[in-house]
Amino acid sequence: MAKENEILEEITGSEYKYGFSSDIETETAPKGLNEDIVRFISKKKNEPDWMLESRLKAYRYWLTLEEPRHWAHIEYPAIDFQDIIYYAAPKKIKELTSLDEVDPELLRTFEKLGISLEEQKRLSGVQSNIAVDAVIDSVSVKTTFKETLAEKGIIFCSFSEAVQEHPELIKKFMGSVVPYTDNYYAALNAAVFSDGSFCYIPKGVRCPMELSTYFRINTLGTGQFERTLLVADEGSYVSYLEGCTAPMRDENQLHAAVVEIIAHKNAEVKYSTVQNWYPGNKEGKGGIYNFVTKRGICLGDNSKISWTQVETGSAITWKYPSVILKGNHSIGEFYSVAVTNNRQQADTGTKMTHLGKNTRSTIVSKGISAGFSNNSYRGLVRIAKGASNARNHSQCDSLLMGDKCGAHTFPYIEIKDKSAIVEHEATTSKISEDQVFYCKQRGIDAEKAVALIVNGYCKEVLNQLPMEFAVEAQKLLAVSLEGSVG
Amino acid sequence: MTNIAEKLNISEKLIATLELEKNSLAGTAHIQAIRKTALGSFTEQGLPHRKNEEYKYSPVSALFKSELCPAKQNACAKLTKSTIAELRIPGLDSHLITVVNGFVSEDLSDYNPNAKSVLVYNTRNTAKHAPALFEKHFGQYASNDADAFIALNTAAFQDVLFIQIADNVQVDKPVVILNVTTTETASLASPRNLIHVGQNASVQIIELYVSIDQNASAINNSVSEIVIETGAKALFYKIQDDCPGLNLITTTQASQKANSHFDTHTVTLSGSWIRNNLNILLEGEHCESHLNGLFILNDSQHVDNHTLVDHAKPHCESNQLYKGLLDDKSSGVFNGKIFVRRDAQKTNAYQSSKNMLLSDDAAINAKPQLEIYADDVKCSHGSSTGQIDEEALFYLKSRGIGSESAKALLMLAFTQDVVNTIRIDALRKHAETLIEKRLSK
Amino acid sequence: MLSIKNLKAGIADKEILKGFNLEVKAGEVHAIMGPNGSGKSTLASVLAGREDYAVTEGAVQFNGKDLLDLSPEDRAREGLFLAFQYPVEIPGVSNINFLKTAIAEIRKYRGLPPMEAKDFLKLVKEKQALVELQVTLANRSVNEGFSGGEKKRNEIFQMAVLEPCLAILDETDSGLDIDALRIVANGVNKLRSENRSFVVITHYQRLLEYIVPDFVHVMYDGKIVKSGPKELALELEAKGYDWIKKELGDVIEA
Repeated sequence: MAKENEILEEITGSEYKYGFSSDIETETAPKGLNEDIVRFISKKKNEPDWMLESRLKAYRYWLTLEEPRHWAHIEYPAIDFQDIIYYAAPKKIKELTSLDEVDPELLRTFEKLGISLEEQKRLSGVQSNIAVDAVIDSVSVKTTFKETLAEKGIIFCSFSEAVQEHPELIKKFMGSVVPYTDNYYAALNAAVFSDGSFCYIPKGVRCPMELSTYFRINTLGTGQFERTLLVADEGSYVSYLEGCTAPMRDENQLHAAVVEIIAHKNAEVKYSTVQNWYPGNKEGKGGIYNFVTKRGICLGDNSKISWTQVETGSAITWKYPSVILKGNHSIGEFYSVAVTNNRQQADTGTKMTHLGKNTRSTIVSKGISAGFSNNSYRGLVRIAKGASNARNHSQCDSLLMGDKCGAHTFPYIEIKDKSAIVEHEATTSKISEDQVFYCKQRGIDAEKAVALIVNGYCKEVLNQLPMEFAVEAQKLLAVSLEGSVG
Repeated sequence: MTNIAEKLNISEKLIATLELEKNSLAGTAHIQAIRKTALGSFTEQGLPHRKNEEYKYSPVSALFKSELCPAKQNACAKLTKSTIAELRIPGLDSHLITVVNGFVSEDLSDYNPNAKSVLVYNTRNTAKHAPALFEKHFGQYASNDADAFIALNTAAFQDVLFIQIADNVQVDKPVVILNVTTTETASLASPRNLIHVGQNASVQIIELYVSIDQNASAINNSVSEIVIETGAKALFYKIQDDCPGLNLITTTQASQKANSHFDTHTVTLSGSWIRNNLNILLEGEHCESHLNGLFILNDSQHVDNHTLVDHAKPHCESNQLYKGLLDDKSSGVFNGKIFVRRDAQKTNAYQSSKNMLLSDDAAINAKPQLEIYADDVKCSHGSSTGQIDEEALFYLKSRGIGSESAKALLMLAFTQDVVNTIRIDALRKHAETLIEKRLSK
Repeated sequence: MLSIKNLKAGIADKEILKGFNLEVKAGEVHAIMGPNGSGKSTLASVLAGREDYAVTEGAVQFNGKDLLDLSPEDRAREGLFLAFQYPVEIPGVSNINFLKTAIAEIRKYRGLPPMEAKDFLKLVKEKQALVELQVTLANRSVNEGFSGGEKKRNEIFQMAVLEPCLAILDETDSGLDIDALRIVANGVNKLRSENRSFVVITHYQRLLEYIVPDFVHVMYDGKIVKSGPKELALELEAKGYDWIKKELGDVIEA
């Protein structure tokens, strides 16, 4: 509770707080994309042949595809895929054994972001422990708490490391939920992904701390293509957090990630994202194109995957964290807050595919549009034939702040089983003047009143986040909407 | 002809077999120009592609497998005044206009051509009567580029049924348009209507779709443009019953001026493959629109209801309620969009779609959409799909009602709120009878 | 403390307050009574600064400041409190968070240091007891799911926490049963002090049995038409508002 107030007090600077860029020595691949670049990346990572083959296959497939530009409610100029650097990595990261060897500038970068790469700090702090995998540009620079987690048999490491150390797991699960053929950006990612996080929770293990990946795009002109793979074995539990920021730059930068989650029998995975990529300036110059494919599969009976996202950043957000409910009695959840201001565009939502029997899914989406932005919910609920007694409830609410923005709802509901009960509700409204006046009468000014009301509006989603993240998210909401109160 | 046609794609083939080029040279200069533009648009678009979002759940390629010729005017022998009389709604005194295969049939119609309140023309005599009004409005609302079927209709229609209600006229009794499809060969009928409701006038229109011995591959692709002037009121009922095996595409494009009222019902009980497009543009302030729909399907029927309510001006209200009951291998679609433009502040728009699946092989696809660009609005939609309430079923059974009749009773209850909004008593009773009959099948 | 001179205000070209005058000194309790449509709630809204109303003439001094010149939040920060007739619901915003924010803002405005968390909780607990408000405020959203009585008690509770120097109670008694009315009145009475003034707007005399006013004013057609001691309320109750109208009619005729 005390936190909430602190947050509201902190909301003063309206500029993008994470917009600095760091002067870290980096090694980059030449601009552009061809087979040689794919080979270059693979070689840099010292990958086995099967991995290179998998990349090339994806690359060749990608070449046959056309950039999807029309179905989503977003507008942007065509991307020049030859004008992107596909690999950038801070130098000297190979032989790291302790933090002392990390480039001090890099440590400072993460400190500025409020991410501690020093385990002791966390241990002595009041906050619960969080193991962090820090990814800067294309490469994972440090994973904390690896040893503590290893004691429980939990594998938490960078994707590159997993390719070397756990090839059997990677071979088995990579691409099993999001195959390279899935879509344009999934194919691109499968060809050029540079790093990301890998996590395996063994049977019956409840992960003792939050696992998190922190993504940062630093180098000019680079794209970030990371890949996250999370495998929760039978009866295990893990809560996973993901955060992202980028420097303020005038040109648009591409982020095309893939996240795959596999939940076995009785396993539960909670995946939370606070996405705060640079949104571009007020006139819409610059900012990240966030084209991400995230999907989980509830493979075993009674498994559960829950996505929570707070999307405040990026010039364009295009993502639909999804769940395939294959196991009987499995549960899929999607809780989302998407805020767009100025010239931002978001087309986001989820896909719940019910295949098993007695499966349940819940969708709660809160879209807030301000400025000249457009904010769309796009979601699919599909009940396959034979998926008896499936249940879905979707609630999609949009809040409009000002008369220059747009709020849209595009749900797709496909039902092929008569025992399904599917309910979808959506509303569009604005903040009531009575609510603002009531707050003012109690001494709270308009801007704070709006922040308060918007946070209240999103409560159902924010409540799903782990404490530290919830605090961060509330701050972000308020900051993102600054200047939108007329 | 066939040899050439084989080499062409399906749309080019259609243009050839329907003799659309030739058709575009018929009629007045005004009509020729409109047909030519439409043909150009259709040539460019072709039939809706598999990837066309608007036809995602209703692919059309299967409908156009057969080679289609233009539907012929000469009606079949079975079509006589007495058959027509049987098709009329019991107990309803109405003006009757019969359209057979897209041709207005004066012989089979029953209305007073000299009545001042309702003026009915088809394109063959329009030029004599009201060219100015006709030319001002015809083809101005249904946009060729918005949907290939509008372009196809505009390029292919033969007659235009033009109903004009003069300013301040309250039409004494409902106008029934009996839209009959009866073709022995695989053919395409293209009925076309223009309805102009003058300022402060009011009218009730019932469009009945009927098929008699038609070829299984026949398609009826109709377009209606409805203009509702300031302060006018129009009730428009589309009843698709008694048209087994019909492939039907209907487009209703309504444009409402200030303070007008438009009330529609689309009831589908029969037909093989049906697509109903209902687009309403609210281009004046303080308009009110109600869109009601009901479909009860069995066998392998497919019905796709598309609605678009375009709020362009402030202070308007729209309300949609669509309900579907799907049995056997039938499939249904509800795709509704509420579009609120930047200027349309103080809009109240509501949309609800409720469906019940009655069999393991039935399917429903719903896509209720909101696209909102104004902030001071109240817009919401809801969609739900479920089954017959087991509690209620048990309650009825415990009172001695048999399982089948209890189910029929509950299904009837499900349809009730849509039926209750039908404002013409005789039509409502007729609909109730039809639905009851349909549900006890 | 509060001085209203010839206040004229209205909404959308319709004048509702037509030259309203009132002087409230520290520690006084003024009751404003009047029939429906006499402008009582408009007065409360105008004083609190609701933007829908336009002031066309007159002046309002509050503790030596021009009240009409202040934003609604600054009026609150200066110590003006309005207990709403229809308190609005704010979903998702907990009562505690709401109050904490309000206190922080008010203290900042007054140049006071932020309140310690434990002091705040103590204050809340103490004031909650005052109005016998038993709901767990931490978990519940502002006014959401509150009964009519709870909403009104919540208003008095907020008043107790924020400790204003002038409280305007806008028909706080409407919709309350006799027990709730007694609780609300007790709360108000406990808050009476020589530094704090009240303007109690009510339609009925009933509330004034519990909150005994120093002055009673009768409002009609946008202004005060009769003022007197607390007994005036009783007289009104006995004779009804028609009595005033008639008396006014006589004046006009005369």
